[in-house]
Amino acid sequence: MSALGHYLEEEGIATVAISLIRPQTENTKPPRALWVPFELGRPFGPPNDPAFQKRVILTALRLLERDSGPVIIEDFPDDDPRAQPDPAWHPPFVPAAAADSSAETLAAQLEREIPLLLGAHDRWLARHGRTTIGLSGLSMADYGRYVADWVREKAPPSPRDGFSAPLMLRFSVDDLKAYYLEAGAAGTGKPSSLQLGDWFWNETAAGAAIYALRKTCLASQDERLKLIAGNFMVPAARVRGTV
Amino acid sequence: MTRLTSLPPAQAQRLAALECPNFETTPWVTGPALSRRRVAIVSSAGLVVRGENPFRGRDPDYRAIPVDTKPEELLVSHISINFDRTGFQEDCNVVFPLDRLNELGADGVIGSVAQTHYSFMGATDPVQMEPHARELAGRLKHDQVDAVILSPV
Repeated sequence: MSALGHYLEEEGIATVAISLIRPQTENTKPPRALWVPFELGRPFGPPNDPAFQKRVILTALRLLERDSGPVIIEDFPDDDPRAQPDPAWHPPFVPAAAADSSAETLAAQLEREIPLLLGAHDRWLARHGRTTIGLSGLSMADYGRYVADWVREKAPPSPRDGFSAPLMLRFSVDDLKAYYLEAGAAGTGKPSSLQLGDWFWNETAAGAAIYALRKTCLASQDERLKLIAGNFMVPAARVRGTV
Repeated sequence: MTRLTSLPPAQAQRLAALECPNFETTPWVTGPALSRRRVAIVSSAGLVVRGENPFRGRDPDYRAIPVDTKPEELLVSHISINFDRTGFQEDCNVVFPLDRLNELGADGVIGSVAQTHYSFMGATDPVQMEPHARELAGRLKHDQVDAVILSPV
């Protein structure tokens, strides 16, 4: 991000960067940056808190009026209030995982679980009027089935012209996670990302299926599939053995 | 929060040690007061407007996001899964604060809001992005933009 600022500024356009990783910004030395103490993925802080977000963006933009640079790196003083867990939040019901963790069982559990969350996801849509599902370009039934077929080790062909099977697997897993995390946040309360992640990865059949899928794909001879499975399915902080 | 101490040690070490370009100079462009600036957002979240091709791998180019893009049309296609998506799911302003920028424009705090905003995919090598960034500068100037807020994820 700071590098983009460097190039744009060299071309004559003033820039100010939001910084999430302060050591990276210190190394790149952009003309102006505002470091914010928020989690990765939330450069402007809490969702649905316009006043807080406006303070962040305005603090950053005001750096454009300073004449003391380059380099300006300022720190935003306040933490994201939504980073704290909300004890009032409860995830939607999903059945307990079966003791049998064979590929067929995991895939079948996933396919049974997906429609159970439809009601919760409808509530999400009613409240927010939007969804972030869509990278695969498939319907919910189709991306769910596509992931389940991969869990069953069928190595299904790509259902979309111009997109390789491993890429479609990545986008389908992204869509599946978006569906669950939106459904998970549909109830009362304002869950933190950690609460939602704990629920998805530890309690749902989808989380269990993606863990299993990662393991089987890592044993594949297909280097592209191994790359996607190793890096783009389970977040580094959730790979078992690191938490 | 993204204090490195709050991340798993391996991830924190990787992020802190990530190779960054070592520029010999630091350019510095001044301009008028904020109330006279035309502002654009440039994100590195791999944002695409629904229906466009998502970023694949480490594509070095960028996507245009017109100012009238609706929140339901925005998708994150960043290759990394090591950042939170749930904030963006609830409110796209967490990543792409177009509503806030429009409010600042309506209030006269900034001069105006650019007609088009942009997104790269931030895990790409900055050296590969450079020609695209320089080409983007021409587009921004054509839109009279004289201030850019850079938004990472």
